[in-house]
Amino acid sequence: MALLELKSVSRHFGGVRAVDGLDLVIEPGQIFGLIGPNGSGKSTTVNLITGLFPLTSGSIVFQNEDLEKLPTHLRLQTGIARTFQNIRLFGQLTAWQNLWVAQNSPADWAKRGFFSRWLGGQSGVREEISQLLEFSGLAHRQDELAANLAFGEQRRLELARALATRPKLILLDEPAAGMNTEEIGQLRERILKIRAQGTTVLLVEHVMELVMGVTDRIAVLNFGQKIAEGTPVEVQADAAVRKAYLGGGE
Amino acid sequence: MLDFIQSLSDGVLFGATYALIGIGFTLVFGVMHKLNLSYAAASVGGAYCGLLVLKVFAGAPPLAVFFCAFLAGGLLGYIVYLACFHFIPISNPLATLMATVGMLLLVDEVIVHQTDGMPLNYPALFDDVMLRAGEFTLRGDLLMVFVVSILCMAGLLALLYRTRLGLATRAVSQQAVAAQLCGIRVGQVNAMTFVITGLLGGIAGAMIGASVGTLSPLLTTPLTIKGLIVTVIGGLGSIPGAIVAGLLVGGFESVLQQYRGVTERDLYVMLLLFVFLVFRPGGLFAPKEGRD
Repeated sequence: MALLELKSVSRHFGGVRAVDGLDLVIEPGQIFGLIGPNGSGKSTTVNLITGLFPLTSGSIVFQNEDLEKLPTHLRLQTGIARTFQNIRLFGQLTAWQNLWVAQNSPADWAKRGFFSRWLGGQSGVREEISQLLEFSGLAHRQDELAANLAFGEQRRLELARALATRPKLILLDEPAAGMNTEEIGQLRERILKIRAQGTTVLLVEHVMELVMGVTDRIAVLNFGQKIAEGTPVEVQADAAVRKAYLGGGE
Repeated sequence: MLDFIQSLSDGVLFGATYALIGIGFTLVFGVMHKLNLSYAAASVGGAYCGLLVLKVFAGAPPLAVFFCAFLAGGLLGYIVYLACFHFIPISNPLATLMATVGMLLLVDEVIVHQTDGMPLNYPALFDDVMLRAGEFTLRGDLLMVFVVSILCMAGLLALLYRTRLGLATRAVSQQAVAAQLCGIRVGQVNAMTFVITGLLGGIAGAMIGASVGTLSPLLTTPLTIKGLIVTVIGGLGSIPGAIVAGLLVGGFESVLQQYRGVTERDLYVMLLLFVFLVFRPGGLFAPKEGRD
């Protein structure tokens, strides 16, 4: 049974068809790649799944639940988390606090009444925060303001913050942008570990060495439409994909 | 010299109420990036509601009046939120701004109507106490105003920096989209911000009533302007800035009142605003440039 299913999803901005009749099925435990040239609708797709703007048509089903009516903060609580292409951390909070904020799942709050929920201090914080900081190689930086972290550290912190929400599905929007080869290797390891812990990954990425090496299945977008889907090997051999990426005449 | 110190200290003590009003403006701006121009009027309204206690229980202690003003301020804050920011599309900045102007005038009109425009006496604590050091005196009621205001500020800072609600509030103010994706209901946090600033405003209004001895609908406009000046001098969105700027403006206007008279002093307060806008537009504690 599919974890996430997009059924002929469209989003038009005026006359621009950013996403146009897109069908996607993501199975639990997959690392699913979404690639395509600039402006092909990858980020829009992620924004639609997280509910940052409404669909023009179509539907998105997550764990048999239609997401259409669900506002963004509740989608998170069903188990969808994401990172951003342009990093969006809470700059004036420390690394540790950035993760604390993210602990808002129903499980975190079920036992707590209004007063302990809102007025409680740091008691009841899960140990997970220190584990996640460890996992991201940020343990020694936990009391630093997020705005003062180096670029690579900020990317890792954002990933850790998404994981702190205990997602079932994590959407990574170009996590390797601006990274060097060594950092990409570390990111690859992290993505594999995330999957090993049972979280499904949707990876939107330009960096082919990462996408081709880590994903189980890839969909290729161009001008908002899916032009190919398959295993990395199949997609690399696809004529339409080559044309979209390399251009060239008929 | 003694005159100078005397008026400066009186002004700084009273300035704590300006600091509270400034905090109200600045906190809403920091969290929602919106101006709530009705804030000072709603604060005076809260203080008026405090007087209702005296209508029901004649001879109720001043503390009961202050507490009622505190609660009424919070309720008014929530009403302002619903009227100006919940049912009016928040994505339209001009609509919400004009709604708060409308709310300012509405609160004003309600007060004028209910009181026939006459000032009402306001109770105070320790108004018969006078601390002396030679010629220098400290009015007991002003000290009380100062201490209560400072306690409220301390409570607010503890709430913002020591609790989850404060954490959520700061998260929303810094990065609202990401806060939603961390499962925070931005609307709920915004509403809480209005309730909290409203509670502070109710206390601020009551403290102004207590130190002046009367409340009058004529207070709302100058208080709105002073609150905005304090907010700008302190730096939009900066709470420590609003505190220091409130005390600064209080002391400044009191000294100028001493030397130039009550009708001329506000002229200098306005000039102080322009000095800041020209030479330090980011306010006293201009926020550090973050990388986000």
